[in-house]
Amino acid sequence: MSDAKPVSSTMASSFGSSRWRRWLLELGQPQPSGWVDRGLALFIAFNYVLLLLLTVRDLGYARDEGFYFQAARSYQGWFEQLWRDPANAVRHADSAWRVNNEHPALVKSLFALSNLLLYKRWHLFAMEGTSFRFPAMVLSGLGIGLVYLWGARARGRLCGLVAALGLGFMPRFFFHAHLACFDAPVVTMWTLCAYCYWRALARGGWLWPIAVGVAFGLALDTKHNSWFLPVACGLHALLLELGPRLSRARRSASLLDTDYRLHARLRRRRSLAALGSMALLGPPVFYALWPWIWHDTVKRLTAYAKFHLEHVYYNMEFLGRNYWTPPMPRTYAFVMTAATVPAITLLLFAMGLWASRRSVLPTRSSAAPEPALEPARIPEPKPAPISEPVPGTALLWLLAMAVQYAAWLSPKTPIFGGTKHWMTAYPFLALFAGVGLCAAVTAAREVWSAASAVPRWLVALAGGPGLELGFAAAVLVAPVVETLHVHPWGLSSYSPLVGGAAGGATLGLNRGFWGYTTGSVTGYLDASARRGARVYVHDTAQPSWDMLYADGRLRRDIRAVGSVAGADYGLYHHEMHMQGQEYQNWLAFGTVRPDFIAGLDGVPVIWVYRQP
Amino acid sequence: MSLGARLGPARAAARRYLVVLVPLAGLCELGAHGYFARRAPSFAAWSVVDAPVRRLRQPGDLVVVAPRWAEPMARRVLGDELMPVADLARPDASRYSTALELSILGQRAPELAGWRELGRETVGKFELRRLENPQPLPVSFDFVDALGPERTSVLIGEQATPCPWADHAPVLAGGLGGHPTFPAHRFQCPLGEFFNVGVTVIADQDFLPRRCIWAHPPARGELRIRYRDVHLGEVIAGHGGMYWIIERELSGAPIQLTVRVDGDAVGEVVHQDGQGWASFELGLGAHARAPGAEVEFAVSSPDYRNRHFCFEAHTR
Repeated sequence: MSDAKPVSSTMASSFGSSRWRRWLLELGQPQPSGWVDRGLALFIAFNYVLLLLLTVRDLGYARDEGFYFQAARSYQGWFEQLWRDPANAVRHADSAWRVNNEHPALVKSLFALSNLLLYKRWHLFAMEGTSFRFPAMVLSGLGIGLVYLWGARARGRLCGLVAALGLGFMPRFFFHAHLACFDAPVVTMWTLCAYCYWRALARGGWLWPIAVGVAFGLALDTKHNSWFLPVACGLHALLLELGPRLSRARRSASLLDTDYRLHARLRRRRSLAALGSMALLGPPVFYALWPWIWHDTVKRLTAYAKFHLEHVYYNMEFLGRNYWTPPMPRTYAFVMTAATVPAITLLLFAMGLWASRRSVLPTRSSAAPEPALEPARIPEPKPAPISEPVPGTALLWLLAMAVQYAAWLSPKTPIFGGTKHWMTAYPFLALFAGVGLCAAVTAAREVWSAASAVPRWLVALAGGPGLELGFAAAVLVAPVVETLHVHPWGLSSYSPLVGGAAGGATLGLNRGFWGYTTGSVTGYLDASARRGARVYVHDTAQPSWDMLYADGRLRRDIRAVGSVAGADYGLYHHEMHMQGQEYQNWLAFGTVRPDFIAGLDGVPVIWVYRQP
Repeated sequence: MSLGARLGPARAAARRYLVVLVPLAGLCELGAHGYFARRAPSFAAWSVVDAPVRRLRQPGDLVVVAPRWAEPMARRVLGDELMPVADLARPDASRYSTALELSILGQRAPELAGWRELGRETVGKFELRRLENPQPLPVSFDFVDALGPERTSVLIGEQATPCPWADHAPVLAGGLGGHPTFPAHRFQCPLGEFFNVGVTVIADQDFLPRRCIWAHPPARGELRIRYRDVHLGEVIAGHGGMYWIIERELSGAPIQLTVRVDGDAVGEVVHQDGQGWASFELGLGAHARAPGAEVEFAVSSPDYRNRHFCFEAHTR
């Protein structure tokens, strides 16, 4: 390739000067700043929330959502009291905040306020359940927007775009993004905190270090996964510090110690400011936003920590075996990631990781500003000022992933939550996927535009501005189609890598939990049940069932009961360890014949027995 | 010329096209998604198997679905007549001489491995195979099927209190995480609802259904289930276990099942937590092939708490 014409000059001559073409040209370049990217991030976030709202009606209520509805209603009363009589509300916070005190309050508070203001007061939603879910949807959308922003800032708009949509169109993430739960919100909070930390390293001043501390506090008040954040950021700071020392042998002669020392000093100061802010601001924010810990703080925090550190083991099927007690399978998180994240996203992630391999571990020779990923196309790329130290982007992304997955290397880590428990790693997986696509595009442009043996149409493609969009469309179409196709059976979905839903079922992978698929049989019940019929609701929590009434998705005369004995209908949400529940139906109804079956791609997920 | 140099142009050429693989991989995944999403028959498509199964199935054939996850659709179409609970919750497949395997996606039922194929038919996405058991173990008397007031009596505790038969007892089911269903037809003992003897279905260590006689031991003494007029074979065999969610805790006391024929103890089975759905076989010695024998199953435990014992037995 040494005799090829410089790609940049080829490109420069082949592109016009229109702003659109210029924008396309800049797709692959890091954008240090600009309202365009912030606007794009908001645009992506807005549209993602819109999509979630358009698809939420199909989704029944998960077991845990029911408990959070109860909690949110309790907190709602407190907020109203706070408005009327603040002093009294503060004094008597315990009674309201006692409900569901095993989880922190931030997201449930948002559920409460959303229901109070957007549904009860302003009537913005047709379904009450949506008003509870809305804050989590918004946070999910903002998370997607944030991933775009980070990708665009660090590696270019194309990277940001592919990362954002790659995350948004992971079927499992899309599922969780609908729910009034904490799993999708903590993805956003985790990413936000890591992003603020990254910005704090890249820029001086006080704004970003303060933002890190506040974001960490918000993450702490969202879900306990956030406990791993200081580990990721601390390790990052440590490796940035140690990396160049460890690579002394490979020290570049061209790098003079003055520059290196300047960068190292700046970086050290900023790392300490960010980490110090996490330590100093995070806990107060956490404390301020969770009234339950305002009294008996140590005792209640200890109980909170113990609840999660000594969490009861629930059941989970994996490769045909039910796991309910340690040792848990160490391959679980990795196999499930491979089986549920679209294969093309995983391929791009692997490529991105490979393309970033040189910048993951800092050395003295990489102490200069991080280059854009092979910025060959732009005549005048915009380098960051030489005085800025390396923020260690790839290393941070890798660590943010690694600390999440590391937990599942322990055979004591419960696996009952499926993929949601390491979903906080997915934004970073998606960012690497964005890098992977950028690497592919850059390579394509290089080899196609310069080689004589390549067909003319490929040369033309490489010379045009649509290459990025073409590649992006080709790698995003499958995730988008898969995600929309499997909805609302998100927890039953498996990627083509394992043969889709049927392949997952045959392999003995879990088909769902939380009893949320009741939402998929309400039409059948409404149409077939006699007036006052009793339905055994199996794994659906009563508040989740009640929300179906409130939404108008289920006739109010159809009653939930806690046993198949005496019921007119029996629901069965399939899980390996739940099969005894199905057999209860056989004896109670005197038949093994389900009256109605619903599921994904021919795989049954929920079925209904009926009194003959 | 070195190998590397010779490979150079080839590598460059490969690299030119290698990058196409990325968008191609995306499109391949889309194609694969479309293929796998349609590969298994839809729920509605299962209706086509009704007629061929009815035509091919012979009396006594066991109908098995492969993979097992597809069984609810088969049950919905074929109903209780072709897939009765006694077959679905069988102790094992050894008693059946023939089986009809209904399969999709090229799957096979593991328990029918080694059975001889008598014929096969393909209907759309379904494959039907009629199979013959190379070594069937026919059952001459099934104690689960025979449970009832006609030839069974139940006594409980040290005082041998009779447990009367109820034809319309309230059906009881434990709900989420609870006990198996206690049917309307059962012997109900006076000590409480758990102390009954009826045919139920438990989930074993693999969560497979097992049809069995619920036989919770009392706090003191034995639960005795006595059958009259049994034509015995060479052995009394069977299985015993508990709903796995209970048994897997490994915290319960052992359960003793004593089998007596005409008052003579012919054997004793001790069930320990963790054994799962465990088989037993007791030789009948001098009682072998006795006509009209009285057979008693006595269940006891040193600590009766959470001893949700359930067993099946037969003679052959």
